[in-house]
Amino acid sequence: MAALRDGDFAALQILLKAPSKDAVRQLCQECFSSPAAALGPLAQRACPGLAVSAQEAEQLVSALHNLTRHAVYRGLTRAEDILCLFPENFHQNLKNLLTKIILENISAWRNEAQASQISLPRLVDMDWRVDIKTSSDSIARMAVPTCLLQLKIQEDAALCGNNPVVSALTVELSKETLDTMLEGLGRIRDQLSAVANK
Amino acid sequence: MGLLNFTRDPVPEAVSGDMHNLNQLSAQQFSALTEVLFRFLTEPKEVERFLTQLSDFATMNKISLGPLKNIVKSILLVPNGALKRNLSSEQVRADFIALGLSEEKASYFAEQWKVNSPTLTRLAVGQTLMINQLIDMEWKFGVTAGSSELEKVGSIFLQLKLVIKKGSQLENVYVELTLPQFYSFLHEMERVKTSLESFS
Repeated sequence: MAALRDGDFAALQILLKAPSKDAVRQLCQECFSSPAAALGPLAQRACPGLAVSAQEAEQLVSALHNLTRHAVYRGLTRAEDILCLFPENFHQNLKNLLTKIILENISAWRNEAQASQISLPRLVDMDWRVDIKTSSDSIARMAVPTCLLQLKIQEDAALCGNNPVVSALTVELSKETLDTMLEGLGRIRDQLSAVANK
Repeated sequence: MGLLNFTRDPVPEAVSGDMHNLNQLSAQQFSALTEVLFRFLTEPKEVERFLTQLSDFATMNKISLGPLKNIVKSILLVPNGALKRNLSSEQVRADFIALGLSEEKASYFAEQWKVNSPTLTRLAVGQTLMINQLIDMEWKFGVTAGSSELEKVGSIFLQLKLVIKKGSQLENVYVELTLPQFYSFLHEMERVKTSLESFS
């Protein structure tokens, strides 16, 4: 997790050279969303627009990344809290602009952070169908209903980058298995309501 | 021999000889043997026990074990075929008579068949092919307190571990669900249950 460093605020002042407020806004969003490893290429793209050296661009991009992520980490939703982060001699207008941009984006960024949190593989979709088994090699005539459940599972987003792997798993359940499963799910629901009502 | 109910294939020649030998047994002996057979049919995994009981029967009734095993093999042809073809007890009785068993013994066996067939049918259905059968489900749910990106989170997560039989191996599948997904999943499973119940 990014922590704010002293050099960061000096680097942020480079934003004063940005062509427009929207350019700053755009850069903030890109810096937040980018993982630390991808900051290098991002800096290279930002270079020409800001008319700075490669090294300065890297420092800026890194500083913006740290600032935005720090604000999201701490869950800062009030202007005063964000303004406090900046040192005393920081450029006033730039400070206000950055604070404004952060406030505008903080809840979207928070959702983004939660969505890309590490987790076990996630369920993304679920389909089912009920079949009736009428015959098999062990018994010529029967009428046994059975359920086929297809779960679409997405691997951990952090591991897959931009190409999440979704696998489909088809599972067969007999009526007895389904009843037992529903019993378990019911117990989960009861415990969830108990927790919610506390 | 007329058309048999339990099979369309020709019956091995030894069978009529075996039926003749069976007819020599007293009613009590036949009843004891039938009991051993049905106990095996309803618990097919207990092979050791079955062989021991057969050997005890052979000793007690002064019959050689070898011929006894052949007789048992012949008898078992009928219930195995009857199970596959959902035969009634009358059909089983008729088949034994056609094979050469006495009416009295054929009726007795058919009666035992009637008594045991629900259990045997259930066993056969249980052996029917299932694709990726769900064996077990374990779950836990909790609250995410914080993460490297968010100091305070406070969201609920649910984790399921599904144990699935793939061929002869068991495989564990881990899945995480959000709360809305869980409620949706529960709702869908209840719909499945209603559907399965309407077909039972």
